[in-house]
Order: sequence, then structure tokens, then C-alpha cells
Amino acid sequence: MRVSVSFFSYFQDLTGCAQTTEALAEGSRLDDLYRRIVGRFPKLAPLEKSTLLAVGVDYQPRDYVLRDGDEVSLFPPVQGG
Amino acid sequence: MRRELTLTSEPIDEAAWLAQRPMPAGMGAVVCFLGVVRDTEAGAAIRALEYEAFRKMAEHQFHRLFDEMEKRWPIASVRVVHRLGVVNVSEPSLWVEIVAPHRGEAFAACQWLIDEMKRVVPIWKRPVFQRAGARPRRSRRSA
Repeated sequence: MRVSVSFFSYFQDLTGCAQTTEALAEGSRLDDLYRRIVGRFPKLAPLEKSTLLAVGVDYQPRDYVLRDGDEVSLFPPVQGG
Repeated sequence: MRRELTLTSEPIDEAAWLAQRPMPAGMGAVVCFLGVVRDTEAGAAIRALEYEAFRKMAEHQFHRLFDEMEKRWPIASVRVVHRLGVVNVSEPSLWVEIVAPHRGEAFAACQWLIDEMKRVVPIWKRPVFQRAGARPRRSRRSA
């Protein structure tokens, strides 16, 4: 299956892109995708504890089981206001 | 509960918003909060903040917070305006208005909403420094 991955805020600078796609095995979890992304973009690794993960428009835990076509987003802590 | 959310690159016109304030029968408290851009960021002088949002998710998360507010307090109306793009120092970046029967729930709801917004709504800000060539601690780029 394939999922899209979007980066926001300074994660775009750290990865050099706003969006990418990943091919994953059926049953893969959000954490599997995260590990794959950090492997491709190692500058994200030191920020793991503060990285927020969303699928669509909702935050999801690392054990969330991904589905084909999911739109995943990675971003740093939010700063509205 | 009436709810209105505006994410805008236009300046916040407080007078225009106040002129449209809903005031249903039985309401006795209005709390308005204005968040204003300070002139320093991490100790450095700035001339503005540049706001960026994951708009679709930000709208969804705000409405989730409004749903939760409605369960917690007897609020008649919540209106939120959040600026995006460049907001100069001393200009408002956030306007929140809560209309409720009593001040206790109006203050509590306003405080809670802003705290939760800062926790879950995907909006980020980047300082725009006064000194040419100055950089924030971490460079960011708008989506």
C-alpha cells in the first residue's frame, strides 16, 4: 500500500520537501512509517519525542494501523496564539 | 451553541466583530481575549511573526474543542479569529469571544480553549527579525 506524508513548519526545512510518499506492507503501523521516514530524513530523529503525528485531520498513536491512501502528517509542537 | 471560526490573513477588525456580537436572552457575561504579537522572541527584537497553519486539520481541531466546550459549559456563543501570514508587532494575532450566562464559565471556557488550542491546533509561527540577515533559532518555511 502507499501513503502520503506531509511535513509542516520547520520539518519542511529539515526534510527539504513538503510531501513524499511511502510504500508499506499491509498492516504496517504509524510507527513503522515513522521509522522509515526518519531513515530517509535523519535530521528528524533528534526531534522524535516532540514530533506530532496525524492521519487525515486527527492525531493518532504510534500503533495506529495504516490503510492504503492514508494522508499522514508530521510536524513539530504547535504554536498558535 | 453558536460557533464561528475564522482563519484569515486579513487584520482583525475588533470593532466589526464586536458589532456582530450575538447576545441571546439569559446571557450575562462576555469575555473577549486578544492575543497580540510581542516585540521580542527568545530575547531578540522582532518586527513580526509569520503564522502558518495546516488549515484543514486546524479547523477540525478547533471544532473538536468547540464540541468539548459545549459539553463542559453552558455557553451561548464562541467566536475565534486567528491570523495567518505576517502579523506585525503590536497587532492582534488571536481574538476569542465567549458569551455565557455568568462570568465564571465564560472566563473558564476562554482560558481552557486557548490552552487547548496551543496544545492541539496545528498552527505555527516564525519570527521575522528586525535586523537584516538575523535568523530564528530554527529556520522554517511556510507550506
